[in-house]
Amino acid sequence: MDSSPDQAPAPRTPAKRTTAAKPAASRAATDAATPARKVPARSTTDRSTAPRSTAPRSTTARTQTPRTQTPRTPTARSTSDRPASTRTRPKPVETVLSLEGLVKRFGDTIAVAGIDLAVESGSFYGIVGPNGAGKTTTLSMVTGLLRPDAGRVLVHGVDVWHDPVAAKRNMGVLPDRLRLFDRLTGAQLLFYSGTLRGLNEETVRTRTSDLAGAFGFEDALGRLVADYSAGMTKKIALAAAMIHSPRVLILDEPFESVDPVSAANVTQILRSYVDAGGTVVVSSHSMDLIQRICDHVAVVVHGAILDSGTMASVRKGKTLEDRFVELAGGRTSVEGMSWLNSFSD
Amino acid sequence: MVEQLLRLKLRLLGNAFRRSPWRIVALVIGLGSALGMALVVVAGLIGLRFESASAASRGVEVFGALLVLGFVLVPLVFGVDDVLDPRRFSLYGIPTSSLATALAVSALLSIPAVAMTLIGLAQIVTWARNPLALVLAIIGAPVIVATCLLCSRVSISVAGAALSSRRSRDSAGLLGFAALAGFVIVFVLIYRTNWLQDGANVLATTANVASWSPFGAVWAAPADAAQGHFGLALLRELIALVFLGLLWLAWRTLVKVMLVTQPRSSEGRSYRGLGLFRIARVSPGAVIAERSLTYWIRDARYHASLIVIPVIPFLLMVPFLIIGVPTPVLALIPVPVMALFLGWLVHNDTAYDNTAIWLHLASGTTGRADRVGRVVPPLVVGVPLLLLAAILSAAVYGSFGILPALLGVGLGLLFTGLGLSSVGSARFPYPAVRPGDSPFAAPQSVGTASSLIQSLSFVVTIILSSPTLLFAGLALFLPGPWAWLSLLSGLVLGVLFLWLGIQWGGRIFDRRSPEILSASVRN
Repeated sequence: MDSSPDQAPAPRTPAKRTTAAKPAASRAATDAATPARKVPARSTTDRSTAPRSTAPRSTTARTQTPRTQTPRTPTARSTSDRPASTRTRPKPVETVLSLEGLVKRFGDTIAVAGIDLAVESGSFYGIVGPNGAGKTTTLSMVTGLLRPDAGRVLVHGVDVWHDPVAAKRNMGVLPDRLRLFDRLTGAQLLFYSGTLRGLNEETVRTRTSDLAGAFGFEDALGRLVADYSAGMTKKIALAAAMIHSPRVLILDEPFESVDPVSAANVTQILRSYVDAGGTVVVSSHSMDLIQRICDHVAVVVHGAILDSGTMASVRKGKTLEDRFVELAGGRTSVEGMSWLNSFSD
Repeated sequence: MVEQLLRLKLRLLGNAFRRSPWRIVALVIGLGSALGMALVVVAGLIGLRFESASAASRGVEVFGALLVLGFVLVPLVFGVDDVLDPRRFSLYGIPTSSLATALAVSALLSIPAVAMTLIGLAQIVTWARNPLALVLAIIGAPVIVATCLLCSRVSISVAGAALSSRRSRDSAGLLGFAALAGFVIVFVLIYRTNWLQDGANVLATTANVASWSPFGAVWAAPADAAQGHFGLALLRELIALVFLGLLWLAWRTLVKVMLVTQPRSSEGRSYRGLGLFRIARVSPGAVIAERSLTYWIRDARYHASLIVIPVIPFLLMVPFLIIGVPTPVLALIPVPVMALFLGWLVHNDTAYDNTAIWLHLASGTTGRADRVGRVVPPLVVGVPLLLLAAILSAAVYGSFGILPALLGVGLGLLFTGLGLSSVGSARFPYPAVRPGDSPFAAPQSVGTASSLIQSLSFVVTIILSSPTLLFAGLALFLPGPWAWLSLLSGLVLGVLFLWLGIQWGGRIFDRRSPEILSASVRN
């Protein structure tokens, strides 16, 4: 999601809008930059995409998701726009995920060169970087899949590498490029993921059907995951990551090869999760997407964070893509390709 | 076109040497052993020059036909990765004929081609006995090489097309059953043959069949000429040339078809409900066991192992049969051998999951639950199988007094092996066939480590079970309670080692699970 002010004349249905988008303080600061009406960041659209606002569809779509909030009254909404409106949040703001001096080397290459990051509860945190910047390596160390050479990861105050069982209970994980147990059917995979997380059979069943409805794979639940398309596989993995309703979702490239309609649905689900106090960390190299859905962002290049903070503070008035290219070291000019413009037949 | 593809093939071969040192070592060993075997064959063929023409012809015909047949069957069974798949050239707009020619010619730049060229030249020496035999042998040399290479090209392409979807790769298990059936027939034939009397006749009959088959005709033609059957020689040369022509047409047609056929993805069948997951109460160990069992039922890699289990004891019995060991003694072989292999089967189970194991890490699954889940399928399959096999073995042996000893040895080896596997698959996972690959394909890595682990787990299982084996041995020769002692010791020691293995392996898994995942990422 974007924290820029909403200038789109998109129709609104305030009664259905939830108000707990986070972190209010940062958003309010951004909003203060323009005289526009302050609204929850979740429902705003970017200036550039405003004419194609998805607000009407998104608000109705959200009512179908399992995590739908109780409708707020307009008065509740207006108060929530103030930074002090934390009372509408289920939980107070706290640092739910913190990375301290994470380092990882592979032989002579330093994949991650000392990353510090603090993610507050209720934020939608984007991690962007070019290919090979160390995003996946960092997230693997956060989720307990890759042992760091140095540094600490605290999830809700628990060290992932000292008390993994307690720390992992609070995390939902979508790794990039790792296999699933794909000889299971979709339903079996969700059941397996849920029961390994300690859910009971009944809960898994209800949540499976809820998730299948929300992500749109009811028809595919009986097929083997090995027969799924890339996008379907991503969706089932995402569903498996959130089936135990964790405090933090760590999603590595969640939208890769997912079609736009599904991506919009997934984004809606994640937003309402964040509204309810959940925390999402996503990595991507799609700047547009991150700018649109996240309220915080960290730019990772060569295993180090070049800039991080609220979306507005990182963007500094530019688009995230321009700012990113500026940080990451500029564009190469495309010259001497004139032959491409005369076809060879 | 031909020149470009030859250069591409050379570059591909060269690049193979620019990988990790271990791969180069493996490559050099592969090269050396292939050429070594070829040289042994060459020496044999030159040696046959000094045998009588009829004796030499039998050997050459049978062996030659088997060689050519090998070029057809090996790609079908082992699923060779085809670097010069015609489909990879579909976007370049190359005329079919020149592509087919170029691909066939570039196949000359390979180790099998070099080996076959040497063998083809050597058979000229064997048959340099009269002018026609010499001429036919000289014509035969390139025909042999071309036939072998085209056979493998056609076979690889057919296998590639037929096995392109995941589902058909999974049914490669069917191929395994066919192989099993063939093996049983051969076994019965070997069992019924009195080798000391009829060995020579069997060879002569086989040679006769082989020489008329398209695979053997090219080898038989000069042999006939050497024996003075000139008409027969020309007829067989004709069979060989027609076969070669047909192969060329088949290859050309395949290239043409493959250029416009991309691999299709299958929809796959649909399952209802949760399958095996409905069985047990929900606990991590139980669901992992249910997941493992589901894989044993659905995954071709486990099918392959399961097919091998009943075959191995009979394979071991073949040499004993040929030297004439009495049947009652042979009946004692299957139970311990199958038990040993069943326990050994899961010694690399963690690696079979490949990177999917991340789910166990991310969900904080305890090592104990992981270990317990993985030993359940071999127990479910193994215990009834061993009970049945022990009863059958005792019946064939002729005394049910031996039954407790057979059960003690069988269950003891199985449980001990599983305990050891629980430790081994946590501590020493090594690269395995990846999910979805052909179950017979070699994994992407080679190392002395993996074969060391494989043989060590056998040896240690046997050492740990030695009291049970000792009691069983005594039960064979002495009266007394030895058979029952063997059963007791097998059960007590087996259960003890299984429990210890799960505890210890579980602790290793808890400590090393990130390293296990890293190892599977490298695979």
